[in-house]
Amino acid sequence: MRSLSISLLSLTLTSIVIANAYYQKKQFYPSVVYITKSNPSMAVIYIQAFICVWISGKIMRKIFFGQLRTTEFEHLMERSWYAITETCLAFTVFRDDFNPKFVALFTLLLFLKSFHWLAEDRVDYMERSPVISWLFHIRVLSLLLLLGSMDLHFIQHAYQSTITKGASVQLVFGFEYAILLTVVINIAIKYALHSVDLNSETPWDNKAVFLLYTELVMGLIKVIFYVAFVAIMVRIYTLPLFAFRPMYYTIRNFKKAFIDVILSRRAIHNMNTLYPDATPEELLAADNVCIICREEMTTGSKKLPCNHIFHTACLRSWFQRQQTCPTCRLNILRTPTTNNNNARPAQAPRVQPQNPFMNPFVFGGNPFQVFNQPNLGNMQPQQPAQAPQGDQNNQQAPAASAAPGAATTQPQVNIPPFPFPLNFPFLPFMPPPPIPPQDLATLTPEELQRMEGNERENVEARIQCLRNIQVLLDAAVVMMQQYNTTVAASTQPPQPNIQPSTSQTNKSTTTTPSSSSSHNSVIDSPGSSNQSDSPKVAKVAPTTTTTLNPIPENARALILPNQVLQKSWLLNRVNVQLTKRLGNAGCKGFNIKATKKLINSSNALTDKDNAHMHISDIFVK
Amino acid sequence: MAGSALRRLMAEYKQLTLNPPEGIIAGPINEENFFEWEALITGPEGTCFEGGVFPAKLIFPPDYPLSPPKMQFTCEILCRWQSVYIYFTCSGDDPMGYESSAERWSPVQSVEKILLSVISMLAEPNDESGANVDAAKMWRESREEFNKIAEKIVRRTLGIPT
Repeated sequence: MRSLSISLLSLTLTSIVIANAYYQKKQFYPSVVYITKSNPSMAVIYIQAFICVWISGKIMRKIFFGQLRTTEFEHLMERSWYAITETCLAFTVFRDDFNPKFVALFTLLLFLKSFHWLAEDRVDYMERSPVISWLFHIRVLSLLLLLGSMDLHFIQHAYQSTITKGASVQLVFGFEYAILLTVVINIAIKYALHSVDLNSETPWDNKAVFLLYTELVMGLIKVIFYVAFVAIMVRIYTLPLFAFRPMYYTIRNFKKAFIDVILSRRAIHNMNTLYPDATPEELLAADNVCIICREEMTTGSKKLPCNHIFHTACLRSWFQRQQTCPTCRLNILRTPTTNNNNARPAQAPRVQPQNPFMNPFVFGGNPFQVFNQPNLGNMQPQQPAQAPQGDQNNQQAPAASAAPGAATTQPQVNIPPFPFPLNFPFLPFMPPPPIPPQDLATLTPEELQRMEGNERENVEARIQCLRNIQVLLDAAVVMMQQYNTTVAASTQPPQPNIQPSTSQTNKSTTTTPSSSSSHNSVIDSPGSSNQSDSPKVAKVAPTTTTTLNPIPENARALILPNQVLQKSWLLNRVNVQLTKRLGNAGCKGFNIKATKKLINSSNALTDKDNAHMHISDIFVK
Repeated sequence: MAGSALRRLMAEYKQLTLNPPEGIIAGPINEENFFEWEALITGPEGTCFEGGVFPAKLIFPPDYPLSPPKMQFTCEILCRWQSVYIYFTCSGDDPMGYESSAERWSPVQSVEKILLSVISMLAEPNDESGANVDAAKMWRESREEFNKIAEKIVRRTLGIPT
C-alpha cells in the first residue's frame, strides 16, 4: 500500500514537472533542456527513474520467483545493504567519472546482483522442498540463461571498452560481472545436481561429494579473480576498499570448502580402509534402520568398531563433522583395529552384533575350564535322558549331539538344568547347522559317527557351544543385578543404596563378557587362558539358575504397589541400555560413580533425559 | 529423491503424527517448507507449569540431522535451564552455549527426543546452569513468587484471564 502511494506520488510529481516545463517552453526540445538545467526537476526525474527500476524489479521477481520466502527476503535485504555501501565506496574511487550513465550502470549491476542472490537461494531451496513443480524448473532455467547471457554481454562490453579506451570504471564492471558469471555457473551446476537427484529413484550418495568439489573449484576461481582485481586496481588507481569485504568472505568460504574436502577425503579413506561393510546377516539381525537418516539399510552400509551400523553416505557426512560414533560417541579414530580382529575368525560375519548372548567370542576364559565347572556336571546326567531309546548308541549319543555345531548341542545342554527361555533365539546365529533329527534313535551308527567327529573343528564347536551358554548366564546375571539395584534404589529413594551398586559393579567387571581386549586375546591364542575370570564366572553361574526367571516379575511387583508407575519407564530404559551396551565390545565394565549417580537420579524419575545420560555414563569404555 | 534432510524430517513428521508422544504436538508450519516447525508442549503434571500449553518454533539447518535445530519458545516462559544439546532461546536467555550444544549433538537425537527433554527440563530445572540468571535466582530464593509467575504464564497460554 505504501509503495503504491509512493509510486503514485512520484508519478504525479514527474507529470507536474514535465507539464510545468512544457507549459513554460511550449515546445519539446526547449522543455527537455529546461528540465535538465533545473536541479529540482532532475531530482524528481531521478526519483522517478529509481521507482521505475523498483517496479520493474518487482515485476521480474514476480515472473521468475513468484512469492519470495521470508528467509529469501531477509537475505536479499541484508546483502543489498552491504552492496549499496560498497557501491558508495566505489563512487569515491571513480569520482572523476561520476555521471548519470555511471550511476545507471551501477544501479543495473545491483539489480542483476540481487537476482543472482535470489536464484542462489531458490536453487538451495530445491533440497528442502518436497514438491518441485515444472514452473519452478522453467523459471530457474530461463533466469539462469538470462543472467548468464547478460553477464557475458557486460563482460564483453567492459573488455572492449578497456581495450579501446584504456582503463576506466569499466574495469570494475568487467570484474563484477565475471564474479557474477561464476556465481551463475555455480548455481547451474547445483541445479543440475539437484535435478538429477530429484529424478532418480534411489538416493544419490555421491551428490554431497560433487557439491563439495564444485564449491571448492568455484571458490578457487573467485579467489583468483579477486586477487587479480585488487592487484590491477592497486596498480592503476588506489586500494579498492569496496572489494575487501567480499574478498574476505570469498577467501573464508574457499578455506572452509578446502577443509571440508580434506575432512571428507579423510572420512572416505577411513571408511574404506578401517570399517568393514555390514553383511546382509548383520543387517537382518540388527534393527536395519540407519539412525542418521531413519531409512532402511539394504546395501552400502558400514559397521563401526562399536558394532553400530549406518549408511556409508550418512556416516561420511557425519565424519566430516565429528569422528565419533553417532550412537555411542566412541571415538572411531582411536580404536581402528578392534574390528580387524573381529573380522578374522571365520565365524565373525555371523556374529550378531547387538546381542551379547549370541556372540560366541565374548567369553574370556580357559575353554577347558568350562568342563570342570558344575554346569558341566549338571549336563552329564541329562544326556542319557535325551536319547533313551538309542540303546545301541548310548555311549555315542551325548558326544554326537554336540558335534555338528552348537545348534544341536544347545537343546541338550540348556533345557533341563537352566529352564530359561533364552535358548531359542540362539539358533539362527550359530555356525552352519546341518540340523539332524532330534530323535537320535532313528540315526544309523554311521551317521552318528560322522556327526561326532574327532577333528579339531568339532572339538572347537563343542567348546564354543559351552562358552555361549556361559555367556548367556553371565549376561543374565548382570542384567538381574542391575534390575535389583534399580529396584532397591527406587523403592527407598531418600537413602540411595550404595552397597548393592558397588557389589554389582565388582561382579559385573568380572562377569561382563564383552571386554574386547580379553576376548580378542582368547581368539588369537586359544591356548592362553584368562585364569582369573573363569572361576568367578563359575561361581556366579549356579546362582543364575535360581534367580533368573522370577526377578523381572518381582521387580514389577515391587514397583507397582508403590504407585510409582513412572519408574517402570526408567527400569525399562536401564534394561534396554544394558542389553545394548552388553553387545558393545567396547564396554569394559561399570563406572561406580556413575552408577551411584544414576541411583540418586532415579529419585527424580521424571527427569528422563538425565537418567538416560547417567545410564550411558555407567559404562566404562 | 529429495534431499536427505528433507526425507528425515518427513519421516520424523510421519512418526510424530502416527504415534504422537504424550504432551507433544509438532509439525511443519507449512508443508511446503519442512524446515520450520511449530511445536506445542504441555506443562508436565505436578509442576508449576501443569496444564499450560507452550508454543515453540523449531528451525532446522539445511544439514539436519548433522547439525542441531534451533528451538525458541514463542510464548513467555520462565527459563531456568539450558539445554544440553539444542540451541535454545527464549526471553532473557543467553545465546552462549550454542557451540557446546553443537558439539554434544548427535544425529541419533530427534524432534521427539528434544521436545521430551524440554518437558523434562520444565519438570526438573537444572539449577546449576540456569540460562536465565534472574529466573534461576528466583527459583532458588523465592519459590512462591516463581510459582505465582509460572501460574500466570500458564493461564496466559490458555487464554484465561489472570
